Amino acid sequence: MKNYIRLLAATLTLSIASVTWAEVAVIVHPSAGFDSLSEEDVARLFLGKSKSFPAGAQAVPINQTEGAAARDKFNEAICKKNASQYKAYWSQLVFTGKGTPPKDAGDDAAVKTLVAANPNMIGYIDSSAVDASVKVVYKIP
Amino acid sequence: MKKMNFLRKKHSLALAIALCMAVPVTQAGDLNLSGFLSVGGGMVDDENSLSYGGYDEEDFTFDDNLLGIQISGTVAEKVTATVQLTARSENDYQVEAEWAYLSWQATENSKVRAGRLRTPFYMYSDFLDVGYAYAWISPPREVYYLPFNNVDGVDFYTTATLGIFDTSFQAYFGGFDDELDLNGDGIMEGAKTRNQMGLAGTLGKDWWTLRAAYHQADLWVDVTSVAMPVFGTLGGFADALASNGLQDNANKLLVDDDSATFAEVGLNIDTGRFVAAAEYVEFEAEDSLLSKNKRGYVMGGVRFGDWLVHLTASQSRDEESHPEEGIPVAPQTAPIIGALQAVAVSQVVERDVITIGTRWDVTTGTALKFQIDDVDDKNQGDQKVFSVALQAVF
Repeated sequence: MKNYIRLLAATLTLSIASVTWAEVAVIVHPSAGFDSLSEEDVARLFLGKSKSFPAGAQAVPINQTEGAAARDKFNEAICKKNASQYKAYWSQLVFTGKGTPPKDAGDDAAVKTLVAANPNMIGYIDSSAVDASVKVVYKIP
Repeated sequence: MKKMNFLRKKHSLALAIALCMAVPVTQAGDLNLSGFLSVGGGMVDDENSLSYGGYDEEDFTFDDNLLGIQISGTVAEKVTATVQLTARSENDYQVEAEWAYLSWQATENSKVRAGRLRTPFYMYSDFLDVGYAYAWISPPREVYYLPFNNVDGVDFYTTATLGIFDTSFQAYFGGFDDELDLNGDGIMEGAKTRNQMGLAGTLGKDWWTLRAAYHQADLWVDVTSVAMPVFGTLGGFADALASNGLQDNANKLLVDDDSATFAEVGLNIDTGRFVAAAEYVEFEAEDSLLSKNKRGYVMGGVRFGDWLVHLTASQSRDEESHPEEGIPVAPQTAPIIGALQAVAVSQVVERDVITIGTRWDVTTGTALKFQIDDVDDKNQGDQKVFSVALQAVF
């Protein structure tokens, strides 16, 4: 029982730590012809204000699933919107035929797999999940 | 017979586009489905005073409900079909095609659409029925009062980045046939626009957007059955004028192929913590009894976590038309001039409305809203409307 409680406490501490400290990395395909993007570049892509990378290639942004910690952090830091504001923003565009929100692609692993396989995609994952299959172009501390 | 035609036209268009869409449903399966709903109700403070916002009872009624479904699918490369179907409690949940259009992505940033489109009259026109997208239960009624929100035609829409600014531009051409209940008696009168065209543009950066729009059309509204003293109806009055050599004044009374214009300017601000919006509109239909409408609102709000509190001041300051113009003033003509002026004055709205409301984001995609409208109408008296709505997108 004591062990169980200790384990629980440790898990709790860890999860709190991960929410507060987890760095989120914005990732693209390794073959992308650029090594970094500005915060504004990333925001414009995920808010539908721009449809291509600054270098000119078509960009397809993908989101993590609603409720994912990385998604909430990304929306707050980059799009400056909480989950509800983000939803309201896109509902202004969806019901006009003027825009389609980034597709919800799943968790860190799913987003990484998609981006690693598609030179046009841009996504974001927890920094701890980054490996050589993708290139980091922006970091949210 | 006329009525039948209007209805048939609406359904055939919706059906045609729906049929277009049936193809990709069975083939590609790349179909986007989104929906929105609003369930709400309200009550007034004094049922002996004017009705406002669709409410006229002191008992709470849950009768402001709306369900909308939007389906879009790829028909061919760069061509998509979109249908938005709505069912409203005020129309006994009869399903109507709000929009039904084909869209061709001409370039990366511009598209051409054809079919039934939302007319870009206002800042919130595009998502008028999607309450979740804005702060109020519905946008200020003093400004959002035009009866035709859609147009059958074609449009061109493009976005561009000019220096540090984001801009959009939309131009359209078309017309619309509708029916309006002018007497409030459930009997519908025909109305239509032809050669309707307009431009709308926006300029924005990060947290602010400026908007301006201008529209013009040839307008017909069958006002002949509107009741009036002595002559029975406006149609009877117009006939009497014409048979007494006052054909010009009869024309200035009726809304029959009259040139109408509508102009709008707006500002929208959303910093995350603070929201604000303002719009001003002017409508004019030359040579008709319709007043020159001059209306506007200013709104400001603050977000506290999942709550948004907002305050809006709206105003209508219409100017009466002058159907009596050109009649020589004489003792014999005084009653006619008086009758014409009375008709013109009856069209004028002079009203101030203060709206205070809250929006609570219950979950992502669902908002609960409360609103109080304090109405001060110069001609019809005062009223308070209390309303509530649960609005969602999915």
